[in-house]
Amino acid sequence: MNNLWIPIILIILAPLLGGLVYGFERIIKARMQRRIGPPLLQPFYDFLKLADKRKMIVHSAHAFLGIMHFVSLWFALAVLLLGSDLILVIFLHLLSTALLILAAYSTRSIFSHLGANRIAISILAYEPVLIIIAVSIFMLTGSFDATAAFQSEQPLLYKMPLAFIALLLVLPIKLKKSPFDVAEAHQELTGGVELEFSGIFYEAVYTAKWLDYVFCYTLVYLFAGNNILLGAGLIIFTFFYLNALDNSTARVSYKQMLRFSLTVSFSLAFINLLINSLT
Amino acid sequence: MNLASYRKKSPWILHYNAGGCNGCDIEILACLSPKYDIERFGMINTGNPKQSDILLVTGPVTKRSRERLVEIYAQMPEPKVVIACGACASTGGVFRGMYNCEGGIDQYIPVDVYVCGCGTRPEQIIDGVVQALGILETKTKELEESVRLKKETVKEGKQINRRNIADQVKPAMI
Repeated sequence: MNNLWIPIILIILAPLLGGLVYGFERIIKARMQRRIGPPLLQPFYDFLKLADKRKMIVHSAHAFLGIMHFVSLWFALAVLLLGSDLILVIFLHLLSTALLILAAYSTRSIFSHLGANRIAISILAYEPVLIIIAVSIFMLTGSFDATAAFQSEQPLLYKMPLAFIALLLVLPIKLKKSPFDVAEAHQELTGGVELEFSGIFYEAVYTAKWLDYVFCYTLVYLFAGNNILLGAGLIIFTFFYLNALDNSTARVSYKQMLRFSLTVSFSLAFINLLINSLT
Repeated sequence: MNLASYRKKSPWILHYNAGGCNGCDIEILACLSPKYDIERFGMINTGNPKQSDILLVTGPVTKRSRERLVEIYAQMPEPKVVIACGACASTGGVFRGMYNCEGGIDQYIPVDVYVCGCGTRPEQIIDGVVQALGILETKTKELEESVRLKKETVKEGKQINRRNIADQVKPAMI
């Protein structure tokens, strides 16, 4: 019974936690560029400011789909933290992204459409790798449940290091970080899918980004098994790796992203799966 | 809870060049650089009018860009402030009185803060933005609502009928 409380508290505090991660990330990114950077609670200030702006919506279905994106992403995170089926979690996450794509297609803005196209392509880039990683975990633990990974005695990292590298290569696509941030591309698309949201409805999409951080770092934590210290180490390593990569690389085109992901990341995960199934 | 105090802490800037020479734009981008670092005030340079609070306009309004200027201003949700950045945007500058320009952006949209200089210095821009934040905090949503749209319906007798005017003008033109 004691074990159940930790995931429930994590699920309830997930947006708060994600906001802190995002605020900390902005500071770290600024320090890497020798700037001072915003205060730690900056994402929450943004949140409170956006709540006060006038509500402008394109049409009600668009705003509703944006909110449903947030709700379904939170649900996917809850399913993952409660230790359920990994394939289910991945497809729930896909559902939440699909809702955002639908919202973007429902407007007449050309930038919104471009962003939706690019998000669909980035799904094509990261989704196969995640599924292969889930199958590899199944091969090792004999179960698709995340609980099996959370409770395994030996950390999964030692048995499937290639899959971890593959995950590190697809996480920038998922979190829309440079060099794979074509989906968001603030200079050319000004946000892409989130372009037409404003005021309190943009908040749903903005907060969903924070939830995405918690989701991705939980995926990283899966590799540590029941070793909490190793898990914390992996998360901190991934955090610095993502920010350093974001600061030091330029954006690649969506074709290069797709080619890289499907050749390098996918083959790494697949070789890892072959090794796991042979041994 | 008074949410108005949080406006000061996260102003998102939209930058629009209404036909200027790019001198002020370079200085605005210099504000984002490590030396001036306006992100420490929580400011982000967004490209999206629907999510921004401050409209930073540079350049005299050329006749090609004035429709876009008004369009962008209309797309920003209230509360919002407008900063005329540089001599051209404030008064027309050296382009004042030319056939293709208007004298400053205040001929088309209401301006809250004028920042002088040709081109403006980053310090001046930051000072102007900080002054604009004080104005942003005092603005209410009711202040910027269209009176004719929301509060007061147009009365029948006061409505101007364009056909009546045309009937008066036509004989005079012939």
